Amino acid sequence: MGEELKVIVFKLGNEEYGIEVEKVQTIERMLPITRVPKTYTFVRGVINLRGVVIPVIDLRGRFNLPEGEYTDQTRIIIVAVNEMEVGFIVDSANDVIDLNTDRIESPPEVVGGIKAKYLDGVAKIGDDRLLIMLNLAEVLKKSEIIQLESIED
Amino acid sequence: MDMNQYLSMFIDESNDHLQSLNENMLLLESNPNDLSIVQIIFRSAHTLKGMAATMGYEDLASLTHQMENVLDLVRNEKLAMQDFIFDTLFKGLDILESMVEDITQGGEGKADVSGLVTQLQAIVRGEVVSTKNGGTVEQASIKNNVPAIKTSSAIQLDEFQYSVLDQSIAEGHRVLYLEVFIRENCQLKAVRAYMVFDALERSGEVIKSYPSVQDIEQEKFDHSFSLYYITQKDPAELEQLILNVSEVDRVELVELDHESLKQMGELATSTSEVAAASVQLELPPVDSEPSNKTVSETAAVNQSASKTAPKAVTSTPSRTIRVDIERLDVLMNLFSELLIDRVRLEQLASEAKDHALTETVEHMSRVSSDLQNIVLKLRMVPVDTVFNRFPRMVRDLAKSLDKKIDLVITGAETELDRTVIDEIGDPLVHLLRNAVDHGIEPVSDRLAAGKPEMGTVNLRAFHSGNHVFIEIEEDGRGIYRDNVLKSALKKGIVTQEQANAMSDEEVNQLLFAAGFSTAEKISDVSGRGVGLDVVKAKITALGGHVTIYSTPGKGTNFSVQLPLTLSIIAAMMVQMGSEKYAIPLSSIVETGIIKKEQIRSVHGNNMIEFRGSHIPLISLSGIFGIKDFNEASEDETEIVVIQKGDRMAALAIDEFIGQNEIVLKSLGKYLPQVKGISGATILGDGQVALILDPNVFIK
Repeated sequence: MGEELKVIVFKLGNEEYGIEVEKVQTIERMLPITRVPKTYTFVRGVINLRGVVIPVIDLRGRFNLPEGEYTDQTRIIIVAVNEMEVGFIVDSANDVIDLNTDRIESPPEVVGGIKAKYLDGVAKIGDDRLLIMLNLAEVLKKSEIIQLESIED
Repeated sequence: MDMNQYLSMFIDESNDHLQSLNENMLLLESNPNDLSIVQIIFRSAHTLKGMAATMGYEDLASLTHQMENVLDLVRNEKLAMQDFIFDTLFKGLDILESMVEDITQGGEGKADVSGLVTQLQAIVRGEVVSTKNGGTVEQASIKNNVPAIKTSSAIQLDEFQYSVLDQSIAEGHRVLYLEVFIRENCQLKAVRAYMVFDALERSGEVIKSYPSVQDIEQEKFDHSFSLYYITQKDPAELEQLILNVSEVDRVELVELDHESLKQMGELATSTSEVAAASVQLELPPVDSEPSNKTVSETAAVNQSASKTAPKAVTSTPSRTIRVDIERLDVLMNLFSELLIDRVRLEQLASEAKDHALTETVEHMSRVSSDLQNIVLKLRMVPVDTVFNRFPRMVRDLAKSLDKKIDLVITGAETELDRTVIDEIGDPLVHLLRNAVDHGIEPVSDRLAAGKPEMGTVNLRAFHSGNHVFIEIEEDGRGIYRDNVLKSALKKGIVTQEQANAMSDEEVNQLLFAAGFSTAEKISDVSGRGVGLDVVKAKITALGGHVTIYSTPGKGTNFSVQLPLTLSIIAAMMVQMGSEKYAIPLSSIVETGIIKKEQIRSVHGNNMIEFRGSHIPLISLSGIFGIKDFNEASEDETEIVVIQKGDRMAALAIDEFIGQNEIVLKSLGKYLPQVKGISGATILGDGQVALILDPNVFIK
């Protein structure tokens, strides 16, 4: 028997992704972003979240997906992992679901263009919905970023 | 019982006591005959022992206990303080400190104290006490026995037991104090102990033992136990009897008479005496200093004058409370949010042009700036919290280098923001070590140069404007330009041409270059070529800088300039296209406008003439990749002239917004350090603006 998880569901393009609810602090509408020069390309800048300065990254950019326009649906999900607070810009976020860990299967090599190591697994929900569970620690890992940067150079 | 809630109190108080121990030991070292200081030390040690034992830190308690034993002898004039005793006690303090540190880090506070305990016990037994000090010799005859007993002053006789022993002596019985040592490899300690007791009880009576009989039966003792024993037998015979029990290593016997028993009794009641003594002791330390004529001008004394007074005050009900640092940080954060709203309100009020509103907002502004002062003051800590460990450090250093050094501390009450205090300790340690090791010459050199044998290191802290200065000045050999240049040339830090053109100040700054060290030989203390560059980096990171003033042959002064606070600064807000940046006022020399034709190109770098010299014009928009502004397309450009040391540069700006008090915020842990950006702040409209670090632009 697996555990019941509460998962925040958000969208990037047509895919649906999930983050455990405990790791999410808040979900915000788009806020004015101040650009930070000379940093990773996918870092959009910093925002003021009730007096705290938080960096925001474009999750599409992080996964090398084609960038999209920001719309009314665009949201910033503020997550806290390893004492780091970071905002993710996503296309939309409008669902919280219960998920049994038993239903999460290990991911195939590449899902929607994202490497498997950034994923915790893939869960089938409903008849034809697939939920991709993100591995936040891996997504925010700095050594990972440095490698990525050096490839870009 | 859950001890966690007391833990932070324990740590705080232990640190206070350790600090007081350190200070008073130093004081005592310069006034070895002042018993009132010993009393203070003894009380601190005693309290520390009590607290450690209550919290269950056995090692801590047992080491303190042994130190207390030594101090007790000194206190009762049975032992004169000598160098090796000081050294041992200081070593003890070091270990105690590391244990408390370990506890602070969440450890068990365990450490191997056995070596030191043995040494302390040896001192108590009077073993290493050489006879060079006349004071001890005269008392040696009786006292030789007594100290041995003191080893286990934990054997405390109650009144009843004392009178039993006393009467037994009066009736002609022998009263013996025995300490039985069982071999370390013994498997059945309790059994052997039982056999000893059995043998003893056949020919006399055991009055009291330590540990208690019960504990001994349960093997709750190390390898020795001690007891009081009444018998008729001859001590030598008794010794043989005990040694007959197998696996007994050795026995120490002391026969007690009325006199020595009385001392034992005194010892037992000493704890209560301490309490009584504390009342009379409030004054003596201050009194006795001027009266002591010997070495009164040493560092310890200088420091103590300010030290002893506050210590005495702490015994009266304190008017201060301890507040968790985190709460202060929260207060600071909340306040900065208020500050941002204030700016916004002021903006709105000026737009609304409503008289009543404007008045209210103005009043609120005044109140909030008062509040700002108080909140900032709350975070201020006297530099003494960093300075207080230095007398001890300098003492040890001087000793290990065989130099005589007097550390004079002034302005220890000067206050600095806690964040600065937390960071400034290490750089200062480095500078002090440097002063003691490289600055002050060996005694022989000093005498040859016609200087007093004792070198002086002045550690000064004082306010000046919006800065705090900390100076470390010694009267040592000073910096010789040629030596520095030779060394720098050899290490390839400068070229010959550069060297010739350098001013004395620039040469001095070479000391801070990475990989530079003038010391010919590498010593234990410093001279590995790392250090001063790290010091400089750290101080620069704190927004301060270091200047060196030196007169060859006379001495050197390292002057560290630090900002008063790191959390709220005055800044110039500037517009760069659609982006806003803040430049700290402290690094701005002036602002101005230049015409395009005033910009000259030298080797591809843009330079402008400024007050008779040429300074580089730096394109911020180029460095930061700002898309909607480029000064090259303008006929007139606003500039901000910034300064770092005596070098200057001009930054090309789109537009000035104005001067503002801004609250420093970090960019969060996720982003890597961005060159040229030191942090962020939140503007009145809720947007984030980045704070420039102008130092980076000047190379």
